Amino acid sequence: MATINGKDIRKLVVACDAGMGSSVMLASTLRKQLGKTGVTVEHTPVNSIPADADVVVCHSGLAARARSVAPDKPIVPFQIFLGDPAVTKVVKAIQQGTDLNV
Amino acid sequence: MSELLDPRAIRLAEKAADRDDAIRRCGQALVDIGATEPGYIDTMLAREQSISTYVGEGVAIPHGTLAGKDLVKRDALAVLRFPEGVDWGGETVTVCVAIAAQGDGHVDLLAALAEILLDEDQARELREATEPETVIRLLGTIQEETES
Repeated sequence: MATINGKDIRKLVVACDAGMGSSVMLASTLRKQLGKTGVTVEHTPVNSIPADADVVVCHSGLAARARSVAPDKPIVPFQIFLGDPAVTKVVKAIQQGTDLNV
Repeated sequence: MSELLDPRAIRLAEKAADRDDAIRRCGQALVDIGATEPGYIDTMLAREQSISTYVGEGVAIPHGTLAGKDLVKRDALAVLRFPEGVDWGGETVTVCVAIAAQGDGHVDLLAALAEILLDEDQARELREATEPETVIRLLGTIQEETES
C-alpha cells in the first residue's frame, strides 16, 4: 500500500493487453473528465508502460503483469470498464488534489 | 469514418449459440471486409478468455491480443447486433463492436461509443437499432460533438 497525492499526478496511463479496445475507451472518458486539470492521459499495452507515468490504471486481470513491468509505479486495478469506483477515486484525487491509497 | 465503419460490417440481425460463436461472427465480419487475416479471430477468442471485453449496457467490444495486431491489415470496426442476446459470462450482450486496430484511427469512434454507453437513452437506441444508418448516426454525431 502506497499513498500518492492527486497533485503529483501529471501523467495517467491506462494499460491493456493490446491497447486497442477497452483501454482506449476508458482513456477517452478519463481525458474528458480530466481535461481541465492538465493531466496527460495515455493508453498503452501493459508491456510498454512509459517510464514517466505517475499512475497506472488497468483491469484487475492485468494488474500482476503491470506490477512486474512497472514495479515502482502506483497501480490502480479496476473491474468495470465504465464507472468503476476505483477509477472514480483516482479522478477525484486528481481533481481535488487529495491523497490516493494504491 | 466510412473506412472505419464499413456498412457491410454492420450486421444487425445476427444469431449466435454462445459467446465464442458471437466472437467468431464478429471476427468473420472483419475478415470479410478485408480488415484482418482469418487468424485474427483466434486471438479475439484468446483475449476474451483472459479478460472479458464486456463494457456495460449490453455491449461488448471484442478484439484481438497484442500478438493479433500483426494480423490486422487496416483499422476497422464491425457492429453486430444479436437481438436475442448472448450470454457473456453472466451478462447479456446485445451489441458487439468488434475492433481491428494497429494504430489510433479508431480512437474517436470508441470515444463516441463510451459517450453513448454513459447515456441511457442512446445506449438503448444502439441496442434497439435495426438500420445501419442508426448505428452510423449514433457513432458519427457524437464524434463531432466530442471534437468540438
